[in-house]
Amino acid sequence: MAEKRYKKLKTAAELQRLMQWHYTRIRLPRLGRPLAWVTSGAPVEILRAMGVIAVYPENYGALCGARREAVSLCEAAEAQGYSPDLCSYARTSLGSVFQSERAPMGGLPQPDLLIACNNICGTVIKWYEAVAAHYEVPLFILDTPFIHGAFEPHALAYVVAQLEAMIRFVERTTGRRLSMKRLERTVRLANETVQLWSEIRALCKARPSPLNAPDLFVNMAPIVVLRGTEGAVRFYRHLKAEVEMRVKNGIGAIPKEKYRLLWDNIAIWHHLYRFYNYFVDYDACFVVDTYTGGWSQEIPEGQSELMEGIATAYATVFLNQSLEYRSHLMERLIREYDVDGFVMHCNRSCKPYSLGQYAIRRRITEGTGVPGLIIESDMCDARAFAAEAVKTRIQAFMETLAERK
Amino acid sequence: MTKPCFLGVDIGSLTVKAVLLDAGQRLLTRGVVPAGYGGQEAAEALVARLLRECGLTPDEIAYTVVTGYGRVRFATADEEVSEISCHARGAFHLCPAVRTVIDIGGQDSKAMRLDAQGRVVDFAMNDKCAAGTGRFLEVMAAALDVPIEQFGALALQSEHPVAISSTCTVFAESEAISHIARGVAKQDVAAGLHQAIASRVLGLAARVGLEAEVMLTGGVALNVGVVAALSRQSNQRITVPADPQTVGALGAALYAWHKGRR
Repeated sequence: MAEKRYKKLKTAAELQRLMQWHYTRIRLPRLGRPLAWVTSGAPVEILRAMGVIAVYPENYGALCGARREAVSLCEAAEAQGYSPDLCSYARTSLGSVFQSERAPMGGLPQPDLLIACNNICGTVIKWYEAVAAHYEVPLFILDTPFIHGAFEPHALAYVVAQLEAMIRFVERTTGRRLSMKRLERTVRLANETVQLWSEIRALCKARPSPLNAPDLFVNMAPIVVLRGTEGAVRFYRHLKAEVEMRVKNGIGAIPKEKYRLLWDNIAIWHHLYRFYNYFVDYDACFVVDTYTGGWSQEIPEGQSELMEGIATAYATVFLNQSLEYRSHLMERLIREYDVDGFVMHCNRSCKPYSLGQYAIRRRITEGTGVPGLIIESDMCDARAFAAEAVKTRIQAFMETLAERK
Repeated sequence: MTKPCFLGVDIGSLTVKAVLLDAGQRLLTRGVVPAGYGGQEAAEALVARLLRECGLTPDEIAYTVVTGYGRVRFATADEEVSEISCHARGAFHLCPAVRTVIDIGGQDSKAMRLDAQGRVVDFAMNDKCAAGTGRFLEVMAAALDVPIEQFGALALQSEHPVAISSTCTVFAESEAISHIARGVAKQDVAAGLHQAIASRVLGLAARVGLEAEVMLTGGVALNVGVVAALSRQSNQRITVPADPQTVGALGAALYAWHKGRR
C-alpha cells in the first residue's frame, strides 16, 4: 500500500549502485591513500584534491536510521555513558565504533584522520574527539564563527586561515601536498554537482511537483558524500533529465497534489515513507525543504581567491546563520514554490536546527499568512517517534488547511 | 426516517463522551462514561443508552462523527475528525466570543486559537509528557490520598502553596510525598501541584497566544483549583462551559449535523 503512494524514480537503481560502490570502495585496498571521517559541512574539495578518501558518519547514521538499525547502536553508545539527549547521528556513529559487530556493514572503515567543521553544530567537536581518542588518530577542527548578521571580512580572513591550517594538518599527517590545479578541478566538479542539484530542486516549482520530500532526502546522498566527483555529476544529470520529463509530462510525485508543503529540518529516517505518506493521504506533497538545500552553495570561481570562495561557501551554510536569515530563507521558499503550509520537524537530535523553531514559525506565519505545524521526533532514534500523536497533529493541521482552501 | 439526529462521539484515553443533536442543532442528550479497555465497547454502550433515553433507534442517526484517540476504532462512524477541530467547533458554538480554547484531557492538553469565524488559526499540543494533563492530577490526588473530585477544592484552601519544581509526573509525585513527609499541610502541597499544572498548560497556550476570551474544556475544567490557578497566573477570566467534558463530542455532533443535514 505504501509503495503505491510512492512513485519510484527510474534512476533509483543507479543511485543505489552509486552509493553501494562508494561503501564498497572505501573498504578496498587503498594503495596508501589515507581515509578521513568528515562532517557533512567539511570542505571536502580540499581533501579530494589531496587524494584523501572521505567518508561521512552522518550519512552512515542516516543509512542506519533508514534501515531501522540506529536504535541498537544508540543503545550501545548509551551503555558507554553517552546521554540519550545527545544527537542520534553521534550516538549511532559512536555505537558503531564501540560495537562494530552490531553495525550495518560492520561500521565505517577505521579512519586515518578526522576533519570536523562546526558550521553545522557544536556536537561534532566532542563526537569527533571521542572518535579520535578511540582510534588514536589526529583530528582537525575547522572553526567557522557563527554569522549573526553579515559575514564580516575579519571572519572571512579567520576562516581562510583555518583552511590553510587544515591543509597544513592534512599535509603533515598524510605526507601529501595540495596541488592548486587539482583543487580547481575538484571545485569545478563540486560546483557542477551543486548546480545540478539546485536545478533539480527548482524543478519542483512545477504543479504538480515532480518530487516529494522522501525523493529529495533519498537523492541527496551523493550531493553530501560524493560532491566533487564525476560519478555524482553523472548521476545528477540523469536524475535531472528524469525530473524534467516528469514536469514536461505533468507527472506529479504523488497521485493527486492538492496541498503544497515546505519541510524544515532533517528527515525522520526511520519512518521516511510511512511518515510522508500520512500527508499523501491528504493529497499533500512536500515540494521543497530547507535541509537538502544546505548543499546548494557554489564556490565562487575565477575572480577572487579560491580559498576565500571555499571559506565563504562553507561558513555561510544556513545552520551557521541567524534565525532571521533562516526565517527569510523559508519565507522566500514559501513564495517561490507557492506553498500552502509548512511542517517543522522539532528534531530532538539536532539542537541548532530545532532551537528557535517556534520563533521562526510565528514570524513566517505573520509574514506570509501561511500556517505551520511542529512535529516532535528524532531523525534516527525511533524511540522518540509517537505515531498516534503525530497522526493526530497532522490530521488537525490538514483540517485547518482545508478550511482555508 | 422521521426525526433524524446527529451523533458526536469523543473516545478519549480515560472517558468516552457522546452528544446527540436534533435537526435544529438542539441538544437531545449527552453522556460521559469511563473508557475502559480501548473505549470502543464503552462508546457503543453509551450511544445505545442515549438513544434509548431519547426513544430513538440507530437508524435515526443521520450522520456520526467520531473524534479522540480511539476514533479509528469506532466502526459505525461516517467520518473521523481531529480533537482540535471538534473542540474548537464545540467551544465556538457555546460561546462565539471565544478566541482561545484550552482543553485538558486525561492524557493530553491542547490550546487552540480561533478567528472570528471560529476557524482554528493555530494550535499546540503537549508532547510525550503527561505533566499538564488530567493523569497528572489523578496521580497526585492518589499520592495525597484525596478523592479526585475534592482535589481542586482542597487546593483552594491553601494560604502558603509550596513550590513544586519538577515538571515530570513521576518526579513531582516523589517531591509531593517528601513535602508531606516533612509535615507540610496537604492543601499547601495540593495548591503547589495545581500551580505546577497551570504553569505547564499556560506555557503551551503561550505558543498560540492567549487571546481573550479563554475557554477551558475537558475533564480537568471540573477542577476548581486548576481554573483558579490558570486565571490567576494568566490574569485572564477563564470561561468554563456547563459540561466541559462533552465539548469535543458536541463539536463532533456539530460536524455530523453539518455533513448529514440533507
